[in-house]
Amino acid sequence: MKINAMPPCQAKCPIHMDVQGYVAAIAGGDVQEADRVIRRTNPFPSVCGRICTRECESVCRRGKSVDEPVAIRALKRYASDSAAAGAEVPGPEIRFSEKVCIVGAGPAGLTAAHDLALMGYRVTVYESEDEPGGMLTRGIPRYRLPLDLVRSEVDRIRSLGVEIKTGYMLGRDISLQDLQKDFDAVFLGMGSEKSTCPECSGMELSGVWTAVEFLKDVSRGKKFNPGNKVIVIGGGHTAIDAARTCLRLGAEDVTIAYRRTIDEMPAGMDEVEDAREEGIRFEFLTAPEAFEGSGKVEKMRCVRMDLDKSCGGKGKLTCVEDSAFEMEADTIILATGYVPRTEAVQELCTEGGDRLEIKDAAGATRTPGVFAGGDFVSGPTTVVQAIASGRKAAEAVHRYLRGMDQSPEAQEEILQDLDDDVARLVPKAGREKPVCLDSGSRVHSFDEVEHVFTPEQARTEAARCLHCSLGAHVSRDCAVCLNCVLVCPYNVPRPGEEKAYIDMSQCQACGVCAGQCPASAIDLRLEPRTELRQNIRRVLERAESNSQNDFIFGYVCDFSRTRPRELKGENVYTITRPGLGRIDVYELLVPFEAGAREVLVSGCGEEDCKFKDCSLWTRRNVQKAARILESIGIDPERLKIVEG
Amino acid sequence: MIVAEVKPMAEIQDTIKNYSKVLISGCGSCVTVCLSGGAQQVEVLASSLRTAAKSQGQQLEVGEETQLRQCDPMFIEQIRDKAAGYEAILSMGCGAGVQTMAETLGNIPVYPALDTVFFGGADGQGGFVETCAACGQCILSRTGGICPVARCAKSLTDGPCGGAQAGNCEVSKDTRCVWQLIYVRLFRLGQLHLLKETTPPKARRVHPARLNRAE
Repeated sequence: MKINAMPPCQAKCPIHMDVQGYVAAIAGGDVQEADRVIRRTNPFPSVCGRICTRECESVCRRGKSVDEPVAIRALKRYASDSAAAGAEVPGPEIRFSEKVCIVGAGPAGLTAAHDLALMGYRVTVYESEDEPGGMLTRGIPRYRLPLDLVRSEVDRIRSLGVEIKTGYMLGRDISLQDLQKDFDAVFLGMGSEKSTCPECSGMELSGVWTAVEFLKDVSRGKKFNPGNKVIVIGGGHTAIDAARTCLRLGAEDVTIAYRRTIDEMPAGMDEVEDAREEGIRFEFLTAPEAFEGSGKVEKMRCVRMDLDKSCGGKGKLTCVEDSAFEMEADTIILATGYVPRTEAVQELCTEGGDRLEIKDAAGATRTPGVFAGGDFVSGPTTVVQAIASGRKAAEAVHRYLRGMDQSPEAQEEILQDLDDDVARLVPKAGREKPVCLDSGSRVHSFDEVEHVFTPEQARTEAARCLHCSLGAHVSRDCAVCLNCVLVCPYNVPRPGEEKAYIDMSQCQACGVCAGQCPASAIDLRLEPRTELRQNIRRVLERAESNSQNDFIFGYVCDFSRTRPRELKGENVYTITRPGLGRIDVYELLVPFEAGAREVLVSGCGEEDCKFKDCSLWTRRNVQKAARILESIGIDPERLKIVEG
Repeated sequence: MIVAEVKPMAEIQDTIKNYSKVLISGCGSCVTVCLSGGAQQVEVLASSLRTAAKSQGQQLEVGEETQLRQCDPMFIEQIRDKAAGYEAILSMGCGAGVQTMAETLGNIPVYPALDTVFFGGADGQGGFVETCAACGQCILSRTGGICPVARCAKSLTDGPCGGAQAGNCEVSKDTRCVWQLIYVRLFRLGQLHLLKETTPPKARRVHPARLNRAE
């Protein structure tokens, strides 16, 4: 899909996924195509379909200006869950002789491996644990991300020829120097799993855990009894995951203590809500001072904090005097931050420091041919950030190995917000919500909390996409008749300096102007005329050769939920289209030329239509075409609108 | 601009009934703007004629073409080769376009698919109104910018005729009396005194008029 300005969802996504592309495919009922579009840029769709922080949704223009954002993440999950297995990405066209080594089989490393394998390189991945996946397999709890899904994505990457060797730790089993000798390029993506702990006394007590160790043990199936009272310290995703996991392990009273307020929590608001629903309590502006107990932790002494937000950033924290208080605890889990383990790559670190020295956005280190990325460089981020980093690194490795300059970061033009005057004309449509396990029963198991959309839900939700930037554009054939200005239901076209001007950032892609343009000078990115006409021709040729002069031809709206019975059965040939407002008189007449017995137009009916005035213009066009049919002696009743 | 409308289908069919290979030629100027002879209308007419011929068991091949401006031989030259492959041309240009095409192509018959109806402009609601008669001696400076030659049923240059009722023309009740409109406009402009001047009779123009490009 060629675009001139990126829709905000795509621009905001760290891997610039073609959101519109796969959402449109889902709306049209083609999950295979949706899955294909997703896999072009993302080797972990089923993962991102569940745990992505969905930055795309936060900028969705439907959400910002009309009602609620399109449920993009849930749609991605629907596509990847529904697409038939075996829809493999085609292998590389060229094979290079160079070998690339990846250290760390987390999302960044595996993405780099995936992309490099597709580019034609031989890739070996070393992983220190006994299973690849990184935080996906040992950090994210099963109720959010089932293990078999991660395994199946990893298997797909293996099927591209990537060799994954587990149990190899850099600095223990392998050394960077050896890897540099054996491979032509190295990518380091060992994650950021070393916990940083607050300076509290009592850290040595049993019952005090770091969240990463705790989640890792649970995911390995280790039996764990947290007792009744659990305190999780921290405010990020991992804190929430650890707290919700404790509930599932039988704890009855789980509290998350965070030293700032809810507004500063790095965890997403939906995660906080889910945790609250399950009964987790939050103590904000609370910081630990000491863990106390005899051998085993029994309580936490803590203080209240004061947050001065006036000084900018995350604000300045100070202890409130005489505010010390105690909280009882059988288990304390520290989710207070993580840093990368850089001991094995000291030669790549800053002078005297423990941070990697990175030379550019693609992750080049001070040693040529050694690249680094993911959480290993950035510290803990999100899975999609890690994937983005892996993709960038793959490109950088390829450029390095081929002797090409590193490409500069592309700056994409981003579509502006929707004007209020246009937004208020867009028909409202509530967001579909996936079914979730009820909060009472879900805390007793590690079953996945959120279910996948039903096919009906998915199509309804996908139809909510506003097709940002896929609207109308005016060619040089414009005769400046300004008919588009008169017919646009959203008042977007304007008389321009040389021709009519349609602001791409405001156009809703209903296609009414294109259907009414006497010079055929307006086309729609959502449904380009050339493709559409070829499609019509192809279907008509098939109809003509299979059932001469005795077929029914139908135009069906992609977004209508039902298909009328007239359009089912033998000798019925249909073309589905993203809305029918764009239909023109010629398209209604041409099937008769090919010998159609009847031409049926099936929309969704006025009330349901996602496009304003679409039904009105469809009806007008049908009437106009019917009059022409009558004038050439053909029964106008042979052309009609049918509704489901 | 020139405003035209598509002829009744039966008339068009009758015009080309003796041909089996016809080229429909649209015009990208005035008749596109008035929604009667642009690229979109060309494909609609072509499809209609093919469908009609097929339903009557006739052989008819219809080609499609639209020029930027049919009333200039230079644009017609661009389709000379293509036109040579057809027995007749059905022009969706205005009368001027049809003639330019017929003149330029010479040995291929060119037939009109449109009736050219008037000179006018858009009414702002998707329609068009006749506003100019191309009389060659413009008197709009004396009539508040409203042309009585084109808009008075009797083309009176010193109206009104006296037959108007409630401000409407006696010839057509749906039409405002143009002299009433002129009076109101001149009143608003403070130029009622212009009505006291008599418009001298116009010298009848000799057709065809010519305009030579200035050197």
